[in-house]
Amino acid sequence: MQNHDTPTIALDGVTKRFGDECAVDDITLAVNHGELCVLVGTSGCGKSTTLRMINRLIEHSDGQIRIEGQQIRSFDPDQLRRRIGYAIQSTGLFPHWSVSRNIGLVPRLLKWPPDRIAARVSELMAMLDLDPETFSDKYPAQLSGGQAQRVGVARALAADPDVLLMDEPFGALDPITRESLQDELLHLQGQLKKTIVFVTHDMDEALKLADRIVVMRAGHIVQQGKPADLLARPADSFVESLLGGRDLGLKHASLVPVAMRMSALNGECLPDDESVLDTDSLRDALSVMLWRDTFRLLVRDVNGNPIGILHWRDAIRGDDA
Amino acid sequence: MIRSPSNSVLVTLMLAALLTLLAVDVATLQPNRIVAGEGYSLRAIMGLDGLLLSLLPFMFATWLAWFANARRYVVIVVILLVYWVSWPWGMSLFAQAMIEPGQQAARVGIGPGLWVLLFLLLLMVLEVQTRLGMPHLGRWLLWSAILVSVAVPFWSGVLNDLALVREYQGNADDFAAALQYHTLLVGAVVVISLTLAVAMALAMRSHDGLKRSVFAILSVIQTIPSLALFGLLLAPLAWLSSQFPLLADLGVQGIGWAPAALALIGYSLLPMTRNTYVALDSIDPNVTEAARGMGMSRWQVFFHVRLPLALPVIVEGIRITSVQAIGLAAVAALIGAGGLGTFVFQGLGQAAMDLVLLGAVPIIVMAVLVDMALSGLAAVCRRGVANAEP
Ligand SMILES: Nc1ncnc2c1ncn2[C@@H]1O[C@H](COP(=O)(O)OP(=O)(O)OP(=O)(O)O)[C@@H](O)[C@H]1O
Ligand SMILES: [Mg+2]
Repeated sequence: MQNHDTPTIALDGVTKRFGDECAVDDITLAVNHGELCVLVGTSGCGKSTTLRMINRLIEHSDGQIRIEGQQIRSFDPDQLRRRIGYAIQSTGLFPHWSVSRNIGLVPRLLKWPPDRIAARVSELMAMLDLDPETFSDKYPAQLSGGQAQRVGVARALAADPDVLLMDEPFGALDPITRESLQDELLHLQGQLKKTIVFVTHDMDEALKLADRIVVMRAGHIVQQGKPADLLARPADSFVESLLGGRDLGLKHASLVPVAMRMSALNGECLPDDESVLDTDSLRDALSVMLWRDTFRLLVRDVNGNPIGILHWRDAIRGDDA
Repeated sequence: MIRSPSNSVLVTLMLAALLTLLAVDVATLQPNRIVAGEGYSLRAIMGLDGLLLSLLPFMFATWLAWFANARRYVVIVVILLVYWVSWPWGMSLFAQAMIEPGQQAARVGIGPGLWVLLFLLLLMVLEVQTRLGMPHLGRWLLWSAILVSVAVPFWSGVLNDLALVREYQGNADDFAAALQYHTLLVGAVVVISLTLAVAMALAMRSHDGLKRSVFAILSVIQTIPSLALFGLLLAPLAWLSSQFPLLADLGVQGIGWAPAALALIGYSLLPMTRNTYVALDSIDPNVTEAARGMGMSRWQVFFHVRLPLALPVIVEGIRITSVQAIGLAAVAALIGAGGLGTFVFQGLGQAAMDLVLLGAVPIIVMAVLVDMALSGLAAVCRRGVANAEP
């Protein structure tokens, strides 16, 4: 039985020292069931260390880490890791194993029967848009970076873990591939409702994916909260510059869908190519306005029907934030 | 029209072989074991007509090599094999013609010209094989055929008048024992040094300081000449065996198998340890990190990830070590270690060159076979990993 009052992952005063150096210093963090929590911060601030303490690849020096209320030290480390999905930037796929064998790794460790593993592997490949015919028997070296990363994510999801740890999983990809994988992750998360801790350097990625952003600096948590809250009220100049400095306005606009600011059509006639979708962000709309040198845009729904109009005044000064 | 490229390597080898057959003695006749034989050239044996007739296919092959293409390479290799298969039977005919029934001690020998020809033939087959880009299986079949076609006349008694076979018959029991001993010695050395090498490589990976000193020591051992190393081991082992009767009962002495095995292990450790260490060290740490992160135990990571990824390079180390040990074990016969080297040194002492060959030829064949088998194994191991390399 899932108790929704206790957080799925709870860090309480957790510290990690390497010799004299304090990589993570007394952090307290709770991630609730189904939440996608993104850790951001400058290089070396302890994001990966925090992540790796959760699956005991690194043992914490002080404090307590609980998963679903139970101390992680009360589990056998290998058993614990089999319950937690783990995906990393370099994928870490086994080069001497085929794609399907790589994906089936954890189920095999858990001694699932072979036909159940095969079924699960096909299901995951379909879920991550990897054609089983084409990819099952390929080896990691025969994959593009994006395909390898999909396999890495599929492998992390294989045994249907409740908790997923992802360390810059899309960091090495080109912007377009990265964006499509982000969309897929959001889509999957909508269905699967995993509890995810996600590390990234890319602030746009963080804003797009996060239910909650945790900003770290030199082993401490500086601020945490919903993306919009962080953008509206950055705790200090460090957070502000990390979030984008003078780009803050645009970052914020990227979180607001056009639908929230549009007004009803009243017979006005607007050029066809000066239009946006109601699900596009305000940031996209502002960019189109700048590019097209116009103050108003036609808003359409996914089927292409005109449903409203967006004035630049409304775009800039809404009453929702 | 596209002119076929001439294979100058092959043409050169073939011209050399033709010249050898024309100018150098191909067979010898000895009245007894010790007396130096009288040489016979191919022309002296076959007459001018016979000589030309027997060289005709070879000249044809040379012409084909000048205008080579894939199909012609196949014809060339067939012609080469025909020569290879027919020499023992030619030798047998020569013996029948030259040795009269009463002459018990008389024997025929392989002349320098024939040795050179056989060597050149093998080089030519190697060249054609690379040009044809033969797959591993094809190479195996080809070389098995080459070996069998020589082994059959040897065992069937056709070559009973050949000096080498006479030497074998005179030492048949010793030969079997020496062969077995040689194999055992080399096998034991390889297994022991592999075990030690894996242990040392693992230890070096966890203790950085160890790495440099271990490699330094092993490199020094490698530079000591083999006889000197045997000599160095003589005194301490003799002392050990005099102190501990149990060791003496086991046969540990200043001479014999003990110093030979120790020295061979000493020589084997450097290539074996180096390859094992490099193999284990060059594995992408991200892969092992992911393996641990997925919940594989340390043992599972070692046996399912590290070892398979390291295996091709480790097998390569075993190959180098085995071939080296097969050769060095021959030298060990000098300190009474036994093995095929015994015949080599006995033969040298008695000036009986065919006894030398009785030791040397099997050593070479053994080295070539082991080399081929382990290269094949390394290739099989690599196939799994090779998919891996970008
Ligand atoms: N195994 C280790 N031994 C000693 N120090 C370590 C170890 N792992 C990490 N550190 C140190 O801990 C600090 C935090 O490292 P960590 O990898 O968590 O940073 P990060 O936030 O993930 O950085 P990046 O964004 O560059 O990946 C760094 O100063 C690093 O040098
Ligand atoms: Mg990191």
